[in-house]
Amino acid sequence: MADPMHQFEVKPVVEIAPVNVPGLGLVDLSITNSTVAMLVAATIVVLFFAMVTASPKVVPGRLQVVGEGMFSFIDDLAVGIIGSQGRAFFPFVFTLFIFILAMNMLGMFTVFTATAQLAVALTFALMTFLLVIIVGFAKNGLGFLKLFAPSGVPWYMLLFVVPIEVISFFLRPVTLSLRLFGNMLGGHVAMKVFAGFIVSLGAVASAGGVAYLAYVAAVLAFGGVLALTALEFLVAFLQAFVFAVLTCVYLNDAVHAGDH
Amino acid sequence: MAVQSSDAPPPQDILPHTAAAVRDGEVAPSETHAATEAGHEASGGLPQFEFQWWAGQIFWLLIIFAVLYFLLSRVFLPRLRRVKDERAGTIAAAVETARQVQAEAEGQAETAKVEVEQARAKSRATAAAAKARVTESANARAAEEEAVVNARIAEAEAAIGKTRDAAMSNVSSIAADTTRAIVEKLTGKAATAAETDAAVKGVA
Repeated sequence: MADPMHQFEVKPVVEIAPVNVPGLGLVDLSITNSTVAMLVAATIVVLFFAMVTASPKVVPGRLQVVGEGMFSFIDDLAVGIIGSQGRAFFPFVFTLFIFILAMNMLGMFTVFTATAQLAVALTFALMTFLLVIIVGFAKNGLGFLKLFAPSGVPWYMLLFVVPIEVISFFLRPVTLSLRLFGNMLGGHVAMKVFAGFIVSLGAVASAGGVAYLAYVAAVLAFGGVLALTALEFLVAFLQAFVFAVLTCVYLNDAVHAGDH
Repeated sequence: MAVQSSDAPPPQDILPHTAAAVRDGEVAPSETHAATEAGHEASGGLPQFEFQWWAGQIFWLLIIFAVLYFLLSRVFLPRLRRVKDERAGTIAAAVETARQVQAEAEGQAETAKVEVEQARAKSRATAAAAKARVTESANARAAEEEAVVNARIAEAEAAIGKTRDAAMSNVSSIAADTTRAIVEKLTGKAATAAETDAAVKGVA
Protein backbone atom coordinates (compact mmCIF):
# COMPACT_ATOMS: atom_id res chain seq x y z
CA MET A 1 0.00 0.00 0.00
CA ALA A 2 3.01 2.30 0.15
CA ASP A 3 2.68 3.14 -3.51
CA PRO A 4 0.22 6.06 -3.75
CA MET A 5 -0.39 5.22 -7.40
CA HIS A 6 -1.65 1.76 -6.60
CA GLN A 7 -5.19 3.06 -6.09
CA PHE A 8 -5.41 4.18 -9.71
CA GLU A 9 -4.60 0.83 -11.27
CA VAL A 10 -7.27 -0.53 -13.53
CA LYS A 11 -7.87 -4.23 -13.07
CA PRO A 12 -10.29 -6.42 -14.92
CA VAL A 13 -13.20 -7.75 -12.89
CA VAL A 14 -15.06 -9.59 -15.60
CA GLU A 15 -12.83 -10.64 -18.47
CA ILE A 16 -14.32 -10.26 -21.91
CA ALA A 17 -12.48 -11.64 -24.88
CA PRO A 18 -10.89 -8.83 -26.92
CA VAL A 19 -13.15 -7.58 -29.68
CA ASN A 20 -11.74 -7.00 -33.13
CA VAL A 21 -12.80 -3.47 -34.09
CA PRO A 22 -12.03 -2.59 -37.72
CA GLY A 23 -9.38 0.12 -37.79
CA LEU A 24 -8.43 -0.26 -34.12
CA GLY A 25 -7.45 -3.91 -34.01
CA LEU A 26 -8.11 -6.00 -30.93
CA VAL A 27 -9.86 -3.97 -28.23
CA ASP A 28 -10.21 -5.16 -24.65
CA LEU A 29 -13.70 -4.30 -23.40
CA SER A 30 -13.37 -6.21 -20.12
CA ILE A 31 -15.38 -4.89 -17.20
CA THR A 32 -12.78 -3.36 -14.90
CA ASN A 33 -12.88 -1.85 -11.43
CA SER A 34 -13.20 1.49 -13.25
CA THR A 35 -16.33 0.29 -15.04
CA VAL A 36 -17.72 -1.02 -11.76
CA ALA A 37 -17.14 2.37 -10.11
CA MET A 38 -19.00 4.10 -12.97
CA LEU A 39 -21.81 1.59 -12.73
CA VAL A 40 -22.14 1.95 -8.96
CA ALA A 41 -22.11 5.75 -9.22
CA ALA A 42 -24.77 5.71 -11.94
CA THR A 43 -26.86 3.22 -9.97
CA ILE A 44 -26.71 5.42 -6.86
CA VAL A 45 -27.84 8.39 -8.95
CA VAL A 46 -30.72 6.42 -10.44
CA LEU A 47 -31.79 5.02 -7.06
CA PHE A 48 -31.59 8.45 -5.48
CA PHE A 49 -33.77 10.08 -8.09
CA ALA A 50 -36.15 7.14 -8.14
CA MET A 51 -36.63 7.67 -4.39
CA VAL A 52 -36.90 11.44 -4.72
CA THR A 53 -39.46 11.34 -7.51
CA ALA A 54 -41.36 8.23 -6.41
CA SER A 55 -44.10 10.22 -4.71
CA PRO A 56 -43.20 13.86 -5.17
CA LYS A 57 -45.06 16.26 -2.91
CA VAL A 58 -45.85 19.91 -3.43
CA VAL A 59 -44.52 20.38 0.09
CA PRO A 60 -41.27 18.40 -0.23
CA GLY A 61 -39.70 16.01 2.25
CA ARG A 62 -36.01 16.13 3.14
CA LEU A 63 -34.78 13.89 0.33
CA GLN A 64 -36.93 15.71 -2.20
CA VAL A 65 -35.46 19.04 -1.06
CA VAL A 66 -31.97 17.72 -1.79
CA GLY A 67 -32.97 16.34 -5.20
CA GLU A 68 -34.87 19.47 -6.16
CA GLY A 69 -32.01 21.58 -4.84
CA MET A 70 -29.60 19.95 -7.28
CA PHE A 71 -32.21 20.22 -10.03
CA SER A 72 -32.72 23.94 -9.44
CA PHE A 73 -28.99 24.50 -9.00
CA ILE A 74 -28.14 23.20 -12.48
CA ASP A 75 -31.36 24.52 -14.00
CA ASP A 76 -30.56 28.06 -12.83
CA LEU A 77 -26.98 27.59 -13.97
CA ALA A 78 -27.92 26.46 -17.50
CA VAL A 79 -30.62 29.11 -17.97
CA GLY A 80 -28.49 31.78 -16.29
CA ILE A 81 -25.47 31.22 -18.52
CA ILE A 82 -27.01 30.06 -21.80
CA GLY A 83 -30.30 31.97 -21.57
CA SER A 84 -33.75 30.73 -22.50
CA GLN A 85 -32.26 28.14 -24.87
CA GLY A 86 -30.41 26.61 -21.91
CA ARG A 87 -33.46 24.48 -21.09
CA ALA A 88 -32.65 22.27 -24.08
CA PHE A 89 -29.18 21.48 -22.71
CA PHE A 90 -30.20 21.19 -19.10
CA PRO A 91 -30.57 17.36 -19.10
CA PHE A 92 -27.10 16.96 -20.62
CA VAL A 93 -25.45 19.37 -18.17
CA PHE A 94 -27.34 17.83 -15.28
CA THR A 95 -26.33 14.29 -16.25
CA LEU A 96 -22.69 15.38 -16.55
CA PHE A 97 -22.80 17.15 -13.19
CA ILE A 98 -24.55 14.44 -11.24
CA PHE A 99 -22.53 11.59 -12.79
CA ILE A 100 -19.18 13.30 -12.17
CA LEU A 101 -20.29 14.28 -8.67
CA ALA A 102 -21.36 10.70 -7.93
CA MET A 103 -18.06 9.26 -9.16
CA ASN A 104 -16.05 11.88 -7.25
CA MET A 105 -17.98 11.21 -4.06
CA LEU A 106 -17.77 7.46 -4.55
CA GLY A 107 -14.00 7.88 -4.73
CA MET A 108 -14.12 9.49 -1.28
CA PHE A 109 -15.80 6.44 0.24
CA THR A 110 -14.37 3.54 -1.76
CA VAL A 111 -11.02 2.54 -3.19
CA PHE A 112 -11.47 3.66 -6.76
CA THR A 113 -12.13 7.08 -8.29
CA ALA A 114 -13.26 6.74 -11.89
CA THR A 115 -12.87 10.46 -12.57
CA ALA A 116 -9.18 10.18 -11.66
CA GLN A 117 -8.82 8.14 -14.84
CA LEU A 118 -7.73 10.31 -17.75
CA ALA A 119 -9.75 8.15 -20.13
CA VAL A 120 -12.93 9.00 -18.23
CA ALA A 121 -12.24 12.71 -17.84
CA LEU A 122 -11.21 12.99 -21.48
CA THR A 123 -14.34 11.21 -22.66
CA PHE A 124 -16.53 13.68 -20.78
CA ALA A 125 -14.54 16.60 -22.14
CA LEU A 126 -14.71 15.31 -25.72
CA MET A 127 -18.45 14.74 -25.39
CA THR A 128 -18.90 18.38 -24.40
CA PHE A 129 -16.50 19.53 -27.11
CA LEU A 130 -18.28 17.58 -29.85
CA LEU A 131 -21.67 18.76 -28.63
CA VAL A 132 -20.44 22.36 -28.74
CA ILE A 133 -19.21 21.92 -32.32
CA ILE A 134 -22.41 20.18 -33.46
CA VAL A 135 -24.72 22.70 -31.75
CA GLY A 136 -22.55 25.58 -32.96
CA PHE A 137 -22.79 24.62 -36.62
CA ALA A 138 -26.43 23.49 -36.34
CA LYS A 139 -27.57 26.80 -34.81
CA ASN A 140 -25.32 29.26 -36.64
CA GLY A 141 -24.11 27.44 -39.74
CA LEU A 142 -20.82 28.96 -40.83
CA GLY A 143 -21.62 31.89 -38.52
CA PHE A 144 -20.21 29.69 -35.77
CA LEU A 145 -16.75 30.58 -37.12
CA LYS A 146 -17.36 34.16 -35.91
CA LEU A 147 -16.48 32.72 -32.52
CA PHE A 148 -12.84 32.93 -33.60
CA ALA A 149 -13.11 36.56 -34.74
CA PRO A 150 -14.48 38.68 -31.90
CA SER A 151 -16.35 41.75 -33.06
CA GLY A 152 -14.84 45.18 -32.53
CA VAL A 153 -11.29 44.02 -33.07
CA PRO A 154 -9.34 45.89 -35.79
CA TRP A 155 -8.35 43.72 -38.79
CA TYR A 156 -4.62 43.79 -38.07
CA MET A 157 -5.27 42.56 -34.55
CA LEU A 158 -7.33 39.69 -35.95
CA LEU A 159 -4.08 38.28 -37.37
CA PHE A 160 -3.05 37.57 -33.80
CA VAL A 161 -6.44 37.10 -32.19
CA VAL A 162 -7.80 34.47 -34.57
CA PRO A 163 -4.96 31.94 -34.13
CA ILE A 164 -5.10 32.43 -30.36
CA GLU A 165 -8.88 31.91 -30.34
CA VAL A 166 -8.57 28.80 -32.52
CA ILE A 167 -5.87 27.29 -30.33
CA SER A 168 -7.76 28.06 -27.13
CA PHE A 169 -10.89 26.53 -28.62
CA PHE A 170 -9.16 23.29 -29.49
CA LEU A 171 -7.41 23.20 -26.11
CA ARG A 172 -10.78 23.24 -24.35
CA PRO A 173 -11.21 19.46 -24.15
CA VAL A 174 -7.62 19.19 -22.89
CA THR A 175 -8.02 21.78 -20.14
CA LEU A 176 -11.47 20.52 -19.25
CA SER A 177 -10.31 16.93 -18.84
CA LEU A 178 -6.95 17.71 -17.21
CA ARG A 179 -8.62 19.95 -14.63
CA LEU A 180 -10.91 17.17 -13.47
CA PHE A 181 -8.33 14.41 -13.81
CA GLY A 182 -5.55 16.41 -12.16
CA ASN A 183 -7.65 17.54 -9.22
CA MET A 184 -8.93 14.08 -8.44
CA LEU A 185 -5.54 12.45 -8.97
CA GLY A 186 -3.63 15.03 -6.94
CA GLY A 187 -6.04 15.02 -4.04
CA HIS A 188 -6.11 11.27 -3.70
CA VAL A 189 -2.32 10.98 -4.03
CA ALA A 190 -1.83 13.64 -1.35
CA MET A 191 -4.21 11.85 1.00
CA LYS A 192 -2.46 8.55 0.40
CA VAL A 193 0.99 10.06 0.93
CA PHE A 194 -0.02 11.66 4.23
CA ALA A 195 -1.67 8.43 5.33
CA GLY A 196 1.53 6.58 4.41
CA PHE A 197 3.50 9.01 6.62
CA ILE A 198 1.47 7.91 9.64
CA VAL A 199 2.44 4.28 9.14
CA SER A 200 6.11 4.89 8.37
CA LEU A 201 6.49 7.39 11.23
CA GLY A 202 4.87 4.84 13.53
CA ALA A 203 7.44 2.30 12.36
CA VAL A 204 10.24 4.77 13.13
CA ALA A 205 8.81 5.41 16.60
CA SER A 206 8.79 1.71 17.40
CA ALA A 207 12.60 1.95 17.77
CA GLY A 208 11.95 3.61 21.15
CA GLY A 209 13.85 6.39 22.97
CA VAL A 210 14.14 9.69 21.15
CA ALA A 211 12.38 8.09 18.20
CA TYR A 212 9.10 8.37 20.17
CA LEU A 213 9.08 11.98 18.92
CA ALA A 214 8.05 10.50 15.57
CA TYR A 215 4.63 9.91 17.14
CA VAL A 216 4.20 13.71 17.26
CA ALA A 217 4.92 13.90 13.56
CA ALA A 218 2.56 10.98 12.97
CA VAL A 219 -0.23 12.86 14.76
CA LEU A 220 0.51 15.91 12.59
CA ALA A 221 0.31 13.71 9.50
CA PHE A 222 -3.02 12.37 10.75
CA GLY A 223 -4.26 15.94 11.11
CA GLY A 224 -3.09 16.50 7.54
CA VAL A 225 -5.12 13.53 6.33
CA LEU A 226 -8.20 14.84 8.16
CA ALA A 227 -7.83 18.29 6.64
CA LEU A 228 -7.16 16.87 3.17
CA THR A 229 -10.22 14.63 3.41
CA ALA A 230 -12.41 17.62 4.17
CA LEU A 231 -10.77 19.54 1.33
CA GLU A 232 -11.26 16.63 -1.05
CA PHE A 233 -15.00 16.54 -0.35
CA LEU A 234 -15.08 20.18 -1.34
CA VAL A 235 -12.97 19.48 -4.42
CA ALA A 236 -15.19 16.53 -5.38
CA PHE A 237 -18.20 18.85 -5.48
CA LEU A 238 -16.33 21.81 -6.90
CA GLN A 239 -14.88 19.90 -9.85
CA ALA A 240 -18.30 18.55 -10.83
CA PHE A 241 -19.65 22.09 -10.53
CA VAL A 242 -16.78 23.61 -12.51
CA PHE A 243 -17.25 21.02 -15.24
CA ALA A 244 -20.95 21.87 -15.43
CA VAL A 245 -20.29 25.62 -15.46
CA LEU A 246 -17.68 25.36 -18.21
CA THR A 247 -19.95 23.09 -20.23
CA CYS A 248 -22.63 25.79 -19.97
CA VAL A 249 -20.17 28.52 -20.92
CA TYR A 250 -18.98 26.57 -23.98
CA LEU A 251 -22.54 25.74 -24.99
CA ASN A 252 -23.40 29.42 -24.64
CA ASP A 253 -20.62 30.18 -27.15
CA ALA A 254 -22.08 27.60 -29.49
CA VAL A 255 -25.64 28.91 -29.18
CA HIS A 256 -24.82 32.60 -29.43
CA ALA A 257 -21.75 32.55 -31.71
CA GLY A 258 -23.68 34.22 -34.54
CA ASP A 259 -24.86 37.08 -32.30
CA HIS A 260 -21.44 38.71 -32.05
CA MET B 1 11.22 5.98 -20.72
CA ALA B 2 14.78 5.04 -19.72
CA VAL B 3 14.88 7.95 -17.23
CA GLN B 4 11.59 6.83 -15.76
CA SER B 5 12.86 3.32 -15.14
CA SER B 6 15.77 4.66 -13.08
CA ASP B 7 13.24 6.68 -11.07
CA ALA B 8 11.39 3.56 -10.03
CA PRO B 9 11.50 3.00 -6.24
CA PRO B 10 14.02 0.42 -5.03
CA PRO B 11 11.63 -2.27 -3.73
CA GLN B 12 10.06 -2.43 -7.16
CA ASP B 13 13.34 -2.78 -9.01
CA ILE B 14 13.44 -6.54 -8.62
CA LEU B 15 12.60 -7.02 -12.26
CA PRO B 16 14.03 -3.95 -13.99
CA HIS B 17 14.33 -5.65 -17.35
CA THR B 18 10.78 -6.90 -17.41
CA ALA B 19 9.53 -3.54 -16.26
CA ALA B 20 11.41 -1.73 -18.97
CA ALA B 21 10.26 -4.19 -21.57
CA VAL B 22 6.67 -3.87 -20.49
CA ARG B 23 6.85 -0.12 -20.41
CA ASP B 24 8.25 -0.13 -23.91
CA GLY B 25 5.43 -2.42 -24.79
CA GLU B 26 2.85 -0.10 -23.26
CA VAL B 27 3.50 2.45 -25.93
CA ALA B 28 2.14 0.00 -28.46
CA PRO B 29 -1.54 -0.58 -27.67
CA SER B 30 -1.49 -3.97 -29.36
CA GLU B 31 0.64 -5.37 -26.55
CA THR B 32 -0.82 -8.55 -25.15
CA HIS B 33 -2.88 -8.38 -22.04
CA ALA B 34 -1.01 -10.80 -19.83
CA ALA B 35 2.43 -9.28 -20.32
CA THR B 36 1.30 -5.80 -19.41
CA GLU B 37 -0.58 -6.95 -16.39
CA ALA B 38 2.48 -8.68 -15.05
CA GLY B 39 4.48 -5.56 -15.71
CA HIS B 40 2.37 -2.68 -14.41
CA GLU B 41 2.96 -3.69 -10.80
CA ALA B 42 6.53 -2.66 -11.29
CA SER B 43 5.80 0.38 -13.39
CA GLY B 44 6.65 3.78 -11.91
CA GLY B 45 4.47 5.70 -14.38
CA LEU B 46 0.87 6.72 -13.92
CA PRO B 47 -1.53 3.77 -14.14
CA GLN B 48 -3.83 6.13 -16.03
CA PHE B 49 -1.55 5.95 -19.03
CA GLU B 50 -1.96 2.22 -19.52
CA PHE B 51 -3.77 2.66 -22.77
CA GLN B 52 -4.92 -0.93 -22.97
CA TRP B 53 -7.70 -0.06 -20.48
CA TRP B 54 -8.83 3.08 -22.27
CA ALA B 55 -11.09 1.49 -24.85
CA GLY B 56 -13.02 -0.50 -22.26
CA GLN B 57 -13.43 2.49 -19.93
CA ILE B 58 -14.56 4.79 -22.73
CA PHE B 59 -16.92 2.16 -24.15
CA TRP B 60 -18.64 1.43 -20.84
CA LEU B 61 -18.63 5.08 -19.82
CA LEU B 62 -20.47 6.06 -22.99
CA ILE B 63 -23.03 3.30 -22.49
CA ILE B 64 -23.59 4.13 -18.81
CA PHE B 65 -23.76 7.84 -19.59
CA ALA B 66 -26.28 7.23 -22.36
CA VAL B 67 -28.49 5.13 -20.06
CA LEU B 68 -28.18 7.65 -17.25
CA TYR B 69 -28.95 10.52 -19.65
CA PHE B 70 -32.00 8.68 -20.97
CA LEU B 71 -33.34 7.91 -17.49
CA LEU B 72 -32.73 11.41 -16.18
CA SER B 73 -33.99 13.33 -19.20
CA ARG B 74 -37.05 11.14 -19.87
CA VAL B 75 -38.12 10.07 -16.40
CA PHE B 76 -36.64 11.84 -13.40
CA LEU B 77 -36.08 15.40 -14.57
CA PRO B 78 -39.57 15.78 -16.11
CA ARG B 79 -41.03 14.48 -12.83
CA LEU B 80 -39.06 17.05 -10.85
CA ARG B 81 -39.98 19.77 -13.35
CA ARG B 82 -43.66 18.86 -12.99
CA VAL B 83 -43.48 19.02 -9.19
CA LYS B 84 -41.73 22.37 -9.32
CA ASP B 85 -44.20 23.76 -11.85
CA GLU B 86 -47.05 22.43 -9.77
CA ARG B 87 -45.63 24.10 -6.69
CA ALA B 88 -45.07 27.34 -8.57
CA GLY B 89 -48.69 27.10 -9.78
CA THR B 90 -49.98 26.44 -6.27
CA ILE B 91 -48.02 29.35 -4.87
CA ALA B 92 -49.12 31.64 -7.70
CA ALA B 93 -52.76 30.61 -7.21
CA ALA B 94 -52.51 31.15 -3.45
CA VAL B 95 -50.92 34.54 -3.94
CA GLU B 96 -53.61 35.42 -6.49
CA THR B 97 -56.36 34.34 -4.07
CA ALA B 98 -54.77 36.31 -1.27
CA ARG B 99 -54.58 39.35 -3.54
CA GLN B 100 -58.23 38.97 -4.48
CA VAL B 101 -59.30 38.61 -0.86
CA GLN B 102 -57.25 41.64 0.00
CA ALA B 103 -58.82 43.65 -2.83
CA GLU B 104 -62.24 42.50 -1.67
CA ALA B 105 -61.50 43.51 1.91
CA GLU B 106 -60.23 46.84 0.68
CA GLY B 107 -63.45 47.32 -1.29
CA GLN B 108 -65.49 46.47 1.75
CA ALA B 109 -63.46 48.84 3.88
CA GLU B 110 -64.07 51.52 1.24
CA THR B 111 -67.80 50.85 1.28
CA ALA B 112 -67.89 50.91 5.07
CA LYS B 113 -65.98 54.17 5.03
CA VAL B 114 -68.46 55.69 2.58
CA GLU B 115 -71.33 54.43 4.72
CA VAL B 116 -69.84 55.90 7.85
CA GLU B 117 -69.31 59.17 5.99
CA GLN B 118 -72.90 59.16 4.83
CA ALA B 119 -74.22 58.39 8.32
CA ARG B 120 -72.10 61.13 9.72
CA ALA B 121 -73.41 63.62 7.15
CA LYS B 122 -76.94 62.48 7.84
CA SER B 123 -76.58 62.90 11.59
CA ARG B 124 -74.97 66.26 11.02
CA ALA B 125 -77.94 67.31 8.87
CA THR B 126 -80.38 66.01 11.47
CA ALA B 127 -78.58 67.89 14.21
CA ALA B 128 -78.57 71.07 12.14
CA ALA B 129 -82.29 70.71 11.39
CA ALA B 130 -83.10 70.12 15.06
CA LYS B 131 -81.03 73.11 16.01
CA ALA B 132 -82.78 75.27 13.42
CA ARG B 133 -86.17 74.09 14.59
CA VAL B 134 -85.37 74.78 18.22
CA THR B 135 -83.98 78.21 17.40
CA GLU B 136 -87.01 79.01 15.30
CA SER B 137 -89.52 78.03 18.00
CA ALA B 138 -87.50 79.88 20.61
CA ASN B 139 -87.47 82.96 18.41
CA ALA B 140 -91.21 82.67 17.78
CA ARG B 141 -91.93 82.34 21.48
CA ALA B 142 -89.67 85.26 22.26
CA ALA B 143 -91.44 87.37 19.62
CA GLU B 144 -94.86 86.38 20.99
CA GLU B 145 -93.87 87.26 24.51
CA GLU B 146 -92.38 90.50 23.35
CA ALA B 147 -95.63 91.37 21.59
CA VAL B 148 -97.61 90.65 24.78
CA VAL B 149 -95.17 92.72 26.82
CA ASN B 150 -95.27 95.52 24.26
CA ALA B 151 -99.08 95.53 24.34
CA ARG B 152 -99.04 95.75 28.12
CA ILE B 153 -96.46 98.53 27.97
CA ALA B 154 -98.65 100.43 25.50
CA GLU B 155 -101.69 99.88 27.74
CA ALA B 156 -99.82 101.11 30.77
CA GLU B 157 -98.49 104.08 28.84
CA ALA B 158 -102.08 104.91 27.76
CA ALA B 159 -103.30 104.66 31.38
CA ILE B 160 -100.42 106.88 32.52
CA GLY B 161 -101.24 109.37 29.78
CA LYS B 162 -104.91 109.41 30.80
CA THR B 163 -104.02 109.89 34.45
CA ARG B 164 -101.60 112.64 33.54
CA ASP B 165 -104.23 114.38 31.35
CA ALA B 166 -106.76 114.13 34.17
CA ALA B 167 -104.18 115.48 36.56
CA MET B 168 -103.28 118.26 34.16
CA SER B 169 -106.96 119.29 33.75
CA ASN B 170 -107.34 119.24 37.52
CA VAL B 171 -104.27 121.47 37.79
CA SER B 172 -105.88 124.22 35.66
CA SER B 173 -109.18 124.09 37.61
CA ILE B 174 -107.23 124.13 40.91
CA ALA B 175 -105.14 127.00 39.57
CA ALA B 176 -108.35 128.85 38.60
CA ASP B 177 -109.89 128.21 42.03
CA THR B 178 -106.67 129.32 43.74
CA THR B 179 -106.47 132.40 41.55
CA ARG B 180 -110.08 133.32 42.37
CA ALA B 181 -109.46 132.87 46.07
CA ILE B 182 -106.27 134.96 45.88
CA VAL B 183 -107.98 137.65 43.83
CA GLU B 184 -110.96 137.77 46.30
CA LYS B 185 -108.62 138.05 49.22
CA LEU B 186 -106.49 140.73 47.65
CA THR B 187 -109.14 142.79 45.95
CA GLY B 188 -112.16 141.92 47.95
CA LYS B 189 -114.16 141.33 44.95
CA ALA B 190 -114.77 138.00 43.39
CA ALA B 191 -113.35 137.37 39.97
CA THR B 192 -115.50 135.69 37.40
CA ALA B 193 -114.76 132.20 36.35
CA ALA B 194 -114.11 133.30 32.77
CA GLU B 195 -111.47 135.79 33.92
CA THR B 196 -109.58 133.28 36.07
CA ASP B 197 -109.67 130.63 33.37
CA ALA B 198 -108.25 133.09 30.89
CA ALA B 199 -105.57 134.12 33.36
CA VAL B 200 -104.63 130.53 34.11
CA LYS B 201 -104.52 129.75 30.41
CA GLY B 202 -102.33 132.76 29.80
CA VAL B 203 -99.87 131.53 32.40
CA ALA B 204 -99.97 128.02 31.14
